[in-house]
Amino acid sequence: MNPSSANPAFPCGQLPRRMFLSDLGLGFTGLALGATLFNDGVAKAAAPAQPKFSTTDGRPHFTPKAKSVIWIFLSGGYSHVETFDPKPALTKYAGLTFDKTTLANPLTSDKHHKRFRSVPAQEVNVRDVYPSIYPMQVGFAPRGQCGVEMTDWWPHLASCADDLAFVRNMWTTDNDHFAENQIHTGRHRLDEQQPSLGAWIHYGLGTLNENLPKFVVLGGPTNSTTHWSVNSLYLGPEHGGVPLALDPKNPLPFGQRDPRQSADEQRAEYELIGKLNRLAAVEYPQDDALRARIKAYELAFRMQMAVPEVLDFAPENEATKKLYGLDTDATKQAGQRLLAARRLVERGVRFVQVYPGGYSTWDSHQKLKENHTKLCASVDKPVAGLLQDLKQHGMLEDTVVVFCTEFGRTPGLELRGGGKDGRDHHPHGFTIWMAGAGIQRGVVHGETDELGYHAQGEGHYVTDLHATVSHLLGMDLRRLELPGRKRLEIDHGHVIREILS
Amino acid sequence: MNRTAAIALGLALLGAVSVRGAAPAVDYAKEIKPLLRERCYACHGALKQNNGLRLDTADFIKRGGKHGPALVARKPEKSLLLTKVSATDPAERMPPEGDALKPEQIELLRRWIAAGAPAPKDEKPEPSPSEHWAFKPVTRPPLPKIGNRQSAIGNPIDHFINARLAAAKLTPLPPAENPVLLRRVYLDLLGLPPTREELHAFLADTAPDAYERVVDRLLNSPQHGERWARHWMDVWRYSDWFGRRMVPDVWNSAPQIWRWRDWIVKSLNADHGYDRMVKAMLAADEIAPLDDETAVATGYLVRNWYALNPNEWMRANVEHTGKAFLGLTFNCAHCHDHKYDPITQADYFSFRAFFEPLYVRQDRWPGEADPGPFQDYDYSKNRKVQRLGSVRVFDKDAAAKTWFYTGGDERNRDTNRPPVLPTMPEFLGGKSLQVTSVALPVAVSYPGSKSFIREAEMKRVDEATTAAKQTLATSKTPLVEARLATVEAERASVLARLAADEARFGGAGDTNGLARAASKAERQFKLLAAKETLAKAEADMESAKQNSAAAKDDKVKADTKTALTKAETALIAAKKAVTDAEAALTKDSADYTAFSPVYPRESTGRRKALAEWIGSRENPLTARVAVNHIWARHFHEPLVASVFDFGRSGKPPTHPELLDWLAAEFMESGWSMKHLHRLLVTSSAYRSSSQYSVFSNQSSVRKAADTRRSTENWTLNTEHLQRNLTTDPENRLLWRMNPGRMEAEVVRDSLLHLASALDLRTGGQELENKDALITTRRSLYYSFNPESDGRSEFSALFDAPDPNDCYRRTRSVIPQQALALTNSKLVHDHTPAIAKRLGAPASDNAAFITAAFEQILTRPPSRAELAECDAFLKQQSTAVPKDGEARARESLVRALLNQNDFLTVR
Repeated sequence: MNPSSANPAFPCGQLPRRMFLSDLGLGFTGLALGATLFNDGVAKAAAPAQPKFSTTDGRPHFTPKAKSVIWIFLSGGYSHVETFDPKPALTKYAGLTFDKTTLANPLTSDKHHKRFRSVPAQEVNVRDVYPSIYPMQVGFAPRGQCGVEMTDWWPHLASCADDLAFVRNMWTTDNDHFAENQIHTGRHRLDEQQPSLGAWIHYGLGTLNENLPKFVVLGGPTNSTTHWSVNSLYLGPEHGGVPLALDPKNPLPFGQRDPRQSADEQRAEYELIGKLNRLAAVEYPQDDALRARIKAYELAFRMQMAVPEVLDFAPENEATKKLYGLDTDATKQAGQRLLAARRLVERGVRFVQVYPGGYSTWDSHQKLKENHTKLCASVDKPVAGLLQDLKQHGMLEDTVVVFCTEFGRTPGLELRGGGKDGRDHHPHGFTIWMAGAGIQRGVVHGETDELGYHAQGEGHYVTDLHATVSHLLGMDLRRLELPGRKRLEIDHGHVIREILS
Repeated sequence: MNRTAAIALGLALLGAVSVRGAAPAVDYAKEIKPLLRERCYACHGALKQNNGLRLDTADFIKRGGKHGPALVARKPEKSLLLTKVSATDPAERMPPEGDALKPEQIELLRRWIAAGAPAPKDEKPEPSPSEHWAFKPVTRPPLPKIGNRQSAIGNPIDHFINARLAAAKLTPLPPAENPVLLRRVYLDLLGLPPTREELHAFLADTAPDAYERVVDRLLNSPQHGERWARHWMDVWRYSDWFGRRMVPDVWNSAPQIWRWRDWIVKSLNADHGYDRMVKAMLAADEIAPLDDETAVATGYLVRNWYALNPNEWMRANVEHTGKAFLGLTFNCAHCHDHKYDPITQADYFSFRAFFEPLYVRQDRWPGEADPGPFQDYDYSKNRKVQRLGSVRVFDKDAAAKTWFYTGGDERNRDTNRPPVLPTMPEFLGGKSLQVTSVALPVAVSYPGSKSFIREAEMKRVDEATTAAKQTLATSKTPLVEARLATVEAERASVLARLAADEARFGGAGDTNGLARAASKAERQFKLLAAKETLAKAEADMESAKQNSAAAKDDKVKADTKTALTKAETALIAAKKAVTDAEAALTKDSADYTAFSPVYPRESTGRRKALAEWIGSRENPLTARVAVNHIWARHFHEPLVASVFDFGRSGKPPTHPELLDWLAAEFMESGWSMKHLHRLLVTSSAYRSSSQYSVFSNQSSVRKAADTRRSTENWTLNTEHLQRNLTTDPENRLLWRMNPGRMEAEVVRDSLLHLASALDLRTGGQELENKDALITTRRSLYYSFNPESDGRSEFSALFDAPDPNDCYRRTRSVIPQQALALTNSKLVHDHTPAIAKRLGAPASDNAAFITAAFEQILTRPPSRAELAECDAFLKQQSTAVPKDGEARARESLVRALLNQNDFLTVR
């Protein structure tokens, strides 16, 4: 296969390119206006508790390729070698220890030490090496015109192969599930924590829809220890991800009227609040916090109306619902969340972080084949459906889709818990893919070694995804730093230019 | 970072300009110096002069260092500075860390040199680090003379504030009206607003010291300690246990940590000195080893404990002890020498060495069962949520070594260097700090010798004996007889162990003989216990046999067969246990079980030395940092904006003399926080108005003010106000009081308080956040930890602190706050009680509205507000079919809770 040959055919359904970039004039007016409204009132106006610094004006730093991001995160670590980075050598050398193959022994590579840091102290770290090679659990074949190899567990996604850009040499440094936070914040558990990518985007970019939060979380955070992945920390709570429940009746924390109150009563009460606060504003015309609060109440009321509307799928036709697999139990949950993501992005939400399943569902220490068969089936159709639907709406031209997990799985056999049919966590190499605005179609970038062990070359640390996504949004994360909050080089990452269109 | 960004931006702009036309002259002060400061001064400035080179003045640059002059004027190609920054070989290139200078930055340097490297003649080098204001000893400055602007109250704080205002030709705002002041000081000192009754009492009190008496009363209220404990819990990073709460599996902090929180509350209420509190938190186990109530203060260190990785514990201890007590960012020197402060990387490890011998222990608490020893970390086991007893730190391993490592990664240990010893950085006294080990009393090294534990053990076996005898009196079976034999043997063994302990730790009697006796008695007890188990196993076997014989159908037969096999196995084991116990009894031994774990008899004294130095009058930082924290919470803005960084890259104080005067006053008052609170809140600066209106002429200012204000005799005119606003829009010089916003805890507590629903019980184990909106204890008692359920959903929206790092709270305004205050169950549950409490007759809307304003906002309504609310009540009373009037009033109450003045501290 020739990984770099992008194919102009669109197997998922070809539609004329929507001229997002060409109507930038209008787009930017909207952007700037939204940003002004936002920054003027709600965000920072009343934050004198922080040292003064020049906040962003909400405009991109340079011409953006994308308006929004749908970030799909699969918790627990999907096996790269059984999804998007098939390795026949595993089957060939199955059962042998790494030092017995004709290939370089990955366990003795200096990459091992450099790219990996266990959270438990060395003395208690029991996760290190799994010397016995475990064969691939599924077949694979070239897909699409581009011929990218994917395993047989992705029948629907395979039909979108020519839209995807794979990065096969990702690496991270935590070998346990705090890596779920790490891919979102760029920081290892043992380092000082940083705001998540979504929060930075929220902080840096203006709104496109004043009635909705800019950073929405669906299906997560997955667990009480993974909220770092949507946290805004020192950027302030207004920049944190807003988790929405898929229940249109009660989607937002405190977003539902108390049952003891009628809608009319609430409206009257809101009106009175507005009047009283405006009377106060006459008395204190210089009070920024008060003006911000008046705006916040107006926004709250609109948000309370707008959010249920987005999450109500009634206006979607049956074909669309089917496309996302809403008609089947196995795919329903992921499908609903992804359809909600499309509807949110359609209305201008900047960053939607979607968890199709629960915490650590992909974590297959045992019964990998069984788990992955089931789990792939639960997201394959909905994700392919999302791509297709975005295309049909002309939205893939200005939306970036990221599909990722916290780490890969060991090429060696997991020895604990029976030690017969699973793989352990593997930070040294894994695969993600991206699609949509500004991304090449049908390409593969980077590779792991023949055994799927080490990301080759420099590889890509998780913050390279942050750099790439923010680059597509027209942002340079370096320019968003706050005084007194040290960001390191590794936090900023490098744009993965090889997959940019 | 701001600076970096500014430079980057500046350079980018300049770059753009230079491409277009003839290059303009380079401005050394604006373009060259900031670049050198950012990238070079750390190694070639006042802090360090690597290779003898300084780059902080143009003269120094020309003079150069070991390798000769760094620049030759008008000859860029011959200038070492330029050669070094343009080198492509990473070993050669300067600066060695981070990215190379950008081409446009190098071009700037080149042009500056080409132009002859012009610089101002009077250019001053960077001051020496020892000249830095915060590193100099605290001396009390004299009170400034303020001429005819003498404060009416005569509070020293106002001398400093007013002198600065006068110098800047600013006019302070007049005092706040009484209701505003009352609400301000209540929220400040108690975290609760005054009730309507308290408001009326205050307004009726015309004595000149009415306000001062309120202040004293509030400072003496038990709620004061709770309010200020929460502030200090932010700074000291209080956290309840966390790790994997859903499992549950304790990784961080400890389930008994709440005793430390209760200690903070009690200590503040008792006005224990700040120095005393800091010393207790760092080293109570060494300073007052026998004081169990104070030992829990070391929860400050236990909180940082991390089961999986001891290195992480040490890192947190270093970073946060530095930031919280000293305002120093030791953490910046983890991987390299500090870029701004004279703290070397070696200093980092020397500071860590104070904590190196640490571990956590778990102690029995009077009146509670024995929690057993502290559970160590084991990869394959969950750590239990142990609620019994207390936790504290102790020096477990006096010989523990602190190794220097590189790259911030403890695996890169530099074993060529000798282990590091505990010292302070040179600029803070260095090796002069004397560390002397501390001998610990027996009750500390062996808590089992404490009388309450000995008595509890005796009581336990006495009660078991009595109970067994009573059972025997009613049913005399072999099993009951065996039970009595066991408990009597246990009682005998406890007696013998107590006697042996007494000899061993009290030093009287035949130690060896008593130990042998205790050992024997304990083995005797074990034998009888084994026999009791055997008797039970025999009885079980008998009934299993009978059941088996009686079984009819297959299912029952199968079940009884399983039971029989089980009984057989148990019987065999019981018989073996008896045989083993009999064999054990024949052995000669002096080993017996202690009543608690046994700890070292000595502590290194490292933390004691550190704590006493931090809490000493000579320490230049401690009092300044503490005073700044206290000031920030009263005035809503600190004097030093970088509250945890008093180093050279931190912000300078807005009022340096005031800060030093307060620090001196604080220390000389015995570090009394109540003294400081009283001083601050009775100053004119604190009592001044925070609000102003700019109208076209003075009369309308008065008119607007008169609608709500009691008549104040003040003279500020529009011209003065305009000057204030133009000269000092950010109110740095405090020409008015800063407005604030209720913290998350205050929002919830105030709501409950106004409904008379706040449960004022103090202390105890933390409560669960899921109950925060349906139960009514004060907010500081609910679980607080870095997991996502570690703050209540409600609190999180109102900027509840990050349990990992909150030296200063944020104050956001977000729409979700509006949703929480209009829709939450908490608000709806308690509004009826607030409305009812106001007790206005149904017919009298005006009375109700006035009472509601007074209760919720601590002020009467303006005429316009009264009219608006009256119209609302009339309309809603008729619009709502059932209970219209009551519902309208509740709605009004909720609206007032959402009026901006409720959350605002004016």
